[in-house]
Amino acid sequence: MGEVIVITSGKGGVGKTTTTANLGTGLALYKQKKVVMLDADIGLRNLDVVMGLENRIVYDLVDVANGMCRLKQALIKDKRFENLYLMPAAQTKDKTAITPTQMKKLCEELKRDYDYILIDCPAGIEQGFKNAIAGADRALIVTTPEVSAVRDADRIVGLLEAAGFEEPKLIINRLRPDMVKRGDMMDIDDMIDVLAIELLGVIPEDEKIVISTNRGEPAVVDESSKAGQAYRNMIRRLEGEEVPLMKIENIEPNFMDKLRVFFGLKARAK
Amino acid sequence: MTNEPVIIKGTKEGITIILDENSSFEDMEKAIYEKLQRSRNFFSGGKVSIKIKNGFLSKDEYNKLQNIFTDFGMSLQEASSPKTLIFPKPNRNRVLLLKKTVRSGQKITYKGTIVILGDANPGSEIVATGDILVMGTLRGMAHAGVQGDTTAIVAAFRLKPTQLRIAEVISRPPEEKEDIPSFPEIARLKDNVIVIEPL
Repeated sequence: MGEVIVITSGKGGVGKTTTTANLGTGLALYKQKKVVMLDADIGLRNLDVVMGLENRIVYDLVDVANGMCRLKQALIKDKRFENLYLMPAAQTKDKTAITPTQMKKLCEELKRDYDYILIDCPAGIEQGFKNAIAGADRALIVTTPEVSAVRDADRIVGLLEAAGFEEPKLIINRLRPDMVKRGDMMDIDDMIDVLAIELLGVIPEDEKIVISTNRGEPAVVDESSKAGQAYRNMIRRLEGEEVPLMKIENIEPNFMDKLRVFFGLKARAK
Repeated sequence: MTNEPVIIKGTKEGITIILDENSSFEDMEKAIYEKLQRSRNFFSGGKVSIKIKNGFLSKDEYNKLQNIFTDFGMSLQEASSPKTLIFPKPNRNRVLLLKKTVRSGQKITYKGTIVILGDANPGSEIVATGDILVMGTLRGMAHAGVQGDTTAIVAAFRLKPTQLRIAEVISRPPEEKEDIPSFPEIARLKDNVIVIEPL
């Protein structure tokens, strides 16, 4: 019996799709798991583009939900990686094209044959969000070190709690250690302090993500990519291993900086 | 106890209207109106006093009731016995204890005192007729004494609210970034201004 994990954030553009693509690819490639990545962003689908599978779509999520095709017909097998499948969203419909009940049923069906079902949740807290979380067992929340993204993540944690999710985990994306060091960016502690949930991983800002996203090749397979390394660590943590947070060039402020903050000589990062 | 929003009793001094604090004011208002309407002549010219077991009326609500009584030719008497609560202190014996983080988009409303064992994050709203105590960091909006109690307080282990309201007074932290004190603080009304002091 597999596990359904929804990747969500509230705010748009923080890296839900990139995270879904990388975690999915990594779980299939490094852990030999059977993985389905499900794009729940109906009308604004991206996961197929990021995976470089756009031109293979025949049927989609909405077709399956409405019984227009069989489940297996809509699943696209990845061109490079064994065990990796994509369930694309419909592009010509909108979020009301499916219901939470249909999603639940679909997830139940997928769970029987696959180890992981990763759901790429749309931004927002409306119907699309409700559909995406309907069939999920666990939730991962992606945020960037910005006040607005953290605020939205907090809102999402509240909504997930209300929906009965226990202990969603946090992924901090696009952290810039140099800016944190200068006090120009929220640091990890600031974010954990507000959100009060467990951290799954921290992904540093990495130019390679842009390149790999445009090419349709997830960065997780790039051994030289820092972000790829962060994703590989996260995959091991998802599988239950204890992996310490990697040192991304002093992600934490050093001791003297902390002292200065303590004595009020240095403004805390906002 | 009966669940009727309003009970009317005759006494030596006139009539007493007992209100059920669990009913909404709109229900009470409607019930009073209907009851008086039914025996309009009987009540006309009478004196009325009001009792609420644990709740209280805001000034606004009190005025609305007064208008109804005036319409029926009755006169509303001020609180005559200590148990007759018209503008009493909110009942501080009622406490809502919350063991969780109150997050953005969540609103906690309570008739009484609210105690939060956790944080109240930005974008959250805590609204109480009595006091608000946060045994963590208060980062959201807190409104104590929402029905007009000017003695209500807001206290927090770390007080960093987006906005504070006590009774009718609204205040926000100064725009220029000040050092955030690392000790518990309490906010209360003094001469109609919200002041913050170490706890």
